[in-house]
Amino acid sequence: MVMLNLLLILLAGGFLALLCERIDKSLPRIVALAVIIAALIYLITSISGLSALNALQASTPSDPSSWFMHFKTPWIPAFGIHIELALDGISLLMILLTLLLGAVAVSASWTDIQYRQGVFEANLLWTLAGVLGVFMALDLFLFFLFWEIMLIPMYFMIAIWGHENRGYAAMKFFIFTQASGLLMLVAILALVAVNREVTGVYTFSYFDLLQTKMDETTAYWLMLGFFISFVVKLPGFPFHTWLPDAHTQAPTAGSVILAGILLKTGAYGLIRFAVPLFPDASMHFAPVAMLLGIVGIIYGAIAALSQTDFKRLVAYSSVSHMGFILLGVYAWNTLALQGAIMQMIAHGFSTAALFMIAGALQERLHTRDMREMGGLWQQMPRMGAVAMFFIIAALGLPGLGNFVAEFLILLGVFQINEWMAVAGAMGLITGAVYSLILMQRSFQGQPNTHSDKLPLADFGPREMLTMSLMMIALIALGLYPQPILDVSQTALGGLLDSTALGITQ
Amino acid sequence: MSSPDAEIWPLAVFTLMVLVLVITMLLMSWLLGQRRREDATNEPFESGIVSVGNSQIRISVEFYLVAIFFVIFDLETVFIFAWAVAFFELGWHGYIAMLIFIGVLTVALVYEWRNGALDWGSKVRVGLKEAQTLEAQQATHL
Amino acid sequence: MNSDQLLVLSPIISLSLTALILMIQASIKRDHRIAWWISTLGLLTTLLSIYSASNFSQDVGPLLKVDAWGLWFSALLIFCALITLALSRDIFHTQADTKEEYYLLLILSTLGAVVLVQAAHTASLLLGMELMGIALYAMIAFPKSGDLPLEAAVKYLVLSACASAMLLFGFALLYGATGDLSFAGMGAKAASGYLNNPLLVLAGAAIVLAGMGFKLSLVPFHMWTPDVYQGAPTAVTTFLATLSKGAMFVAMVRLILDGQLYRYESLMNALSVVAVASMLVGNWLALRQQQIKRLIAYSSTAHFGYLLVAIIALPHLGDTQQLGRAAISFYLVAYIVTTLAALTVIANVGGEEDSDMQAFDGLFWRHPAQAITLAVAMLSFAGIPLTAGFMGKFYLITLTLNAQLWLLLGTLMIGSAIAIYYYLRVIFTMSAEPHQLNKGSPTVLGWRNPVALLLMLAVLAIGSWPQPLIDLIGRL
Repeated sequence: MVMLNLLLILLAGGFLALLCERIDKSLPRIVALAVIIAALIYLITSISGLSALNALQASTPSDPSSWFMHFKTPWIPAFGIHIELALDGISLLMILLTLLLGAVAVSASWTDIQYRQGVFEANLLWTLAGVLGVFMALDLFLFFLFWEIMLIPMYFMIAIWGHENRGYAAMKFFIFTQASGLLMLVAILALVAVNREVTGVYTFSYFDLLQTKMDETTAYWLMLGFFISFVVKLPGFPFHTWLPDAHTQAPTAGSVILAGILLKTGAYGLIRFAVPLFPDASMHFAPVAMLLGIVGIIYGAIAALSQTDFKRLVAYSSVSHMGFILLGVYAWNTLALQGAIMQMIAHGFSTAALFMIAGALQERLHTRDMREMGGLWQQMPRMGAVAMFFIIAALGLPGLGNFVAEFLILLGVFQINEWMAVAGAMGLITGAVYSLILMQRSFQGQPNTHSDKLPLADFGPREMLTMSLMMIALIALGLYPQPILDVSQTALGGLLDSTALGITQ
Repeated sequence: MSSPDAEIWPLAVFTLMVLVLVITMLLMSWLLGQRRREDATNEPFESGIVSVGNSQIRISVEFYLVAIFFVIFDLETVFIFAWAVAFFELGWHGYIAMLIFIGVLTVALVYEWRNGALDWGSKVRVGLKEAQTLEAQQATHL
Repeated sequence: MNSDQLLVLSPIISLSLTALILMIQASIKRDHRIAWWISTLGLLTTLLSIYSASNFSQDVGPLLKVDAWGLWFSALLIFCALITLALSRDIFHTQADTKEEYYLLLILSTLGAVVLVQAAHTASLLLGMELMGIALYAMIAFPKSGDLPLEAAVKYLVLSACASAMLLFGFALLYGATGDLSFAGMGAKAASGYLNNPLLVLAGAAIVLAGMGFKLSLVPFHMWTPDVYQGAPTAVTTFLATLSKGAMFVAMVRLILDGQLYRYESLMNALSVVAVASMLVGNWLALRQQQIKRLIAYSSTAHFGYLLVAIIALPHLGDTQQLGRAAISFYLVAYIVTTLAALTVIANVGGEEDSDMQAFDGLFWRHPAQAITLAVAMLSFAGIPLTAGFMGKFYLITLTLNAQLWLLLGTLMIGSAIAIYYYLRVIFTMSAEPHQLNKGSPTVLGWRNPVALLLMLAVLAIGSWPQPLIDLIGRL
């Protein structure tokens, strides 16, 4: 019930923000922030009441009662479809990340959005609701529903409030994800059909479908259906082309949500569904997936090097970072998986912050082109320092969250395949190169003619507050990652056990 | 059971013969016949009378209406004939059915009559007057 | 004829009586409003009579087979006619001419459609189809202004006549082969395997299906669709797109099922080719349309291609035959309701003639209620969750998976992926900043709003709470 309420709070909050616009133009963003904080407080208070979480009890994937929370009520009995929501360590972390970055996104939209704020904040809250649904839904039908539905408000955010080429970007984003979603739909339905042949009943429940027996070819094809859909969203190497366009054209808050949260649904899907549902097929496929991950790391980094657009560079760096996640997930051992989850969180914060900086620059300079920047540190020292921090975080400086994540992933991959780890580590070097280029071209060096438009306003208190929150988060993740590792371990242990059983059979 | 081919071949031969016959006739007349190109060769010829005027005459729409009414009501009498022949066999059942049938016909006839379909020449349609006044009103508004 | 038969025939009788009353009314006192009310009351009475007949299942003579399935679709068709009536109320306001006949034609066409969905015999099929079609030609050409309606009507008339001729010829061949004109009789012959000439059956059935494919605008018989959709008044387009096509599809399903035409593998293969072509060509041609009515025309070609997949899947289903019928019913309901919603908004916003994409510029800001309805309809067409269209697609994919028709499944997915683009384009146009020319909000007459909202709610309700409809369809 807690989980359903959480969704309802955000949905209702969206309507509230929509209506508030009529009263006052600045009200919607306050409402949106209040709703997100309320949801966060509601979640935290209800969690602390859970003894299961306090004891950090390990959950097994096939037994819903061992999860932190579980909610199930019939929806479409004719097909055995339920409204089934459940929460384990991984989902909990993802939900917290979603809500935190949601608040950041509202802050990013504070002055950026001048046109129909109410509708914008409503779309933002509805996207968050959809993403929360994705992280909690454990009925495959419901999961697919959230998976598709969350794109619609996101589409509107890009298509209405985006930059110059928004129509193209929004369309491309939607078509890529929807078309790949169709593949997943077919895979889900095929999985249900296979399960029905064995058991004789329709069921979409994750817990029932985990034990589906099927022959190898079927499993392989179905796994591919899930894999492609998730990798498009991640995005993995051959399917990444929508990302630079969507990220660049989206308004700042949209980019924050896209990079910070939406990409993680792909990674989450891989960990939760693609591998556990088809463990054998996934393990056969793992080398290919890991190779795609490495190609993504290197390709993303090289593509980032040659960008002149600030946001586009950050977008390509996301492709590179997501390559690490793909690599880590398919290494499928405790270290690599914990690294992948860590990466999801750390990347969420660091990229969200970089997109906010890009947005702030665009607001002040009316350009994202780095050739027209340079020497901005002198005029905006606070922004420069903040940018320096997050760029260094993104390149993986020890002591910050991203380093822990990438280190864990490489360590885990090393146990599986040394050369893959070596190739992956190349990404750290290229990462350093493009990150420093980004810093150099925009904030250091000679002041550009364009940046003479003095005085450029430095970060104000609202922006500094948001940024410092994310800085604290990254430092905490870097220096004391143990709580995160503990919480994720409760879910990962069971996952690893269940798939290992599958392999030995 | 005979094969389909066995049934179809007389038909095929027949078709072929028809084609051959027609082609032969046309070919022979083309080969043997005389050819003339005079002024009057291509003129339409009706019983020795030279035609006058254009063939593209606009015929009043009333003719078509009458033709269609004839078809409708003529066909209806066919049904009534069929019923009359089997009058005793069909009994009350048939009688009621025929009553309904004639009732529908009557409604149609009334409809045609009232809407001026049976008038010849100037139309005095029920709706027309209202329509004209409405049009006049609109014209004054403009 | 006993009283039960009279009862199951009551929908047809009620519609015929409405037509007669309309004729009498036109002879006594012509009045636009009265004619509208008579038609509405007549349709509502028909709905009531369908409800009272719904407990009976009867063959009425050799011609009609009144069963729950036919009655359910009759009710759906009457609903389409009611919506069309609601949309037509004002379209002839400005035209100073007789408009009472329009309602008469509408009722007659509905009558034809009801006969069509209950047909169990080639004769009643043809009667229903012609009654429906002939009334429609006149309805399309009804507005006197402009050349487009006339062009559309003539095009539809000529090609329809062609289709009818093909249908008749096909029936003749089928009769020659089976010696029976009723669907069940043909089916019995096909099942017993005793046929003089299966080739004749195949040729006949193929020609019949081509004739029907014309009415459903399946590729390669789709050429007329965009012109007629665009040329006809939007209310009539609504009527054509929902009632005429829906009734024809039901008749086609009946012919194929009762006539057991699915036993002929080569026929099913030919149908598969038609289905694949319809899905690909329909979606492909819709991509570049600038007129939203043309876009919907081509998309209807694609949707009937999807529906054809369900028919083709039927013989492959084995124990899940029931699922096949349910899928067809559900998809048809979803498609009809969605089309009604979309065309209602187009009629409200674009007016009767103008359906250019530009008229929808920035509609979200100018008239949110209408825009959201159209957006929901487009998402439903595209098969996005929580809409009726998604549940329809869910059924279809389940069906195709069960039947293991991989080629058709692949085409269905490619078609759906292409379709997302053009449906989204409509939504994008609506979300853009309003064009200079149409800054103001369109004047949507007060009571037309509820119609659009009702249809939108129906689309959402079927999509998000489908269980009642699934139960209902399961009982048919």
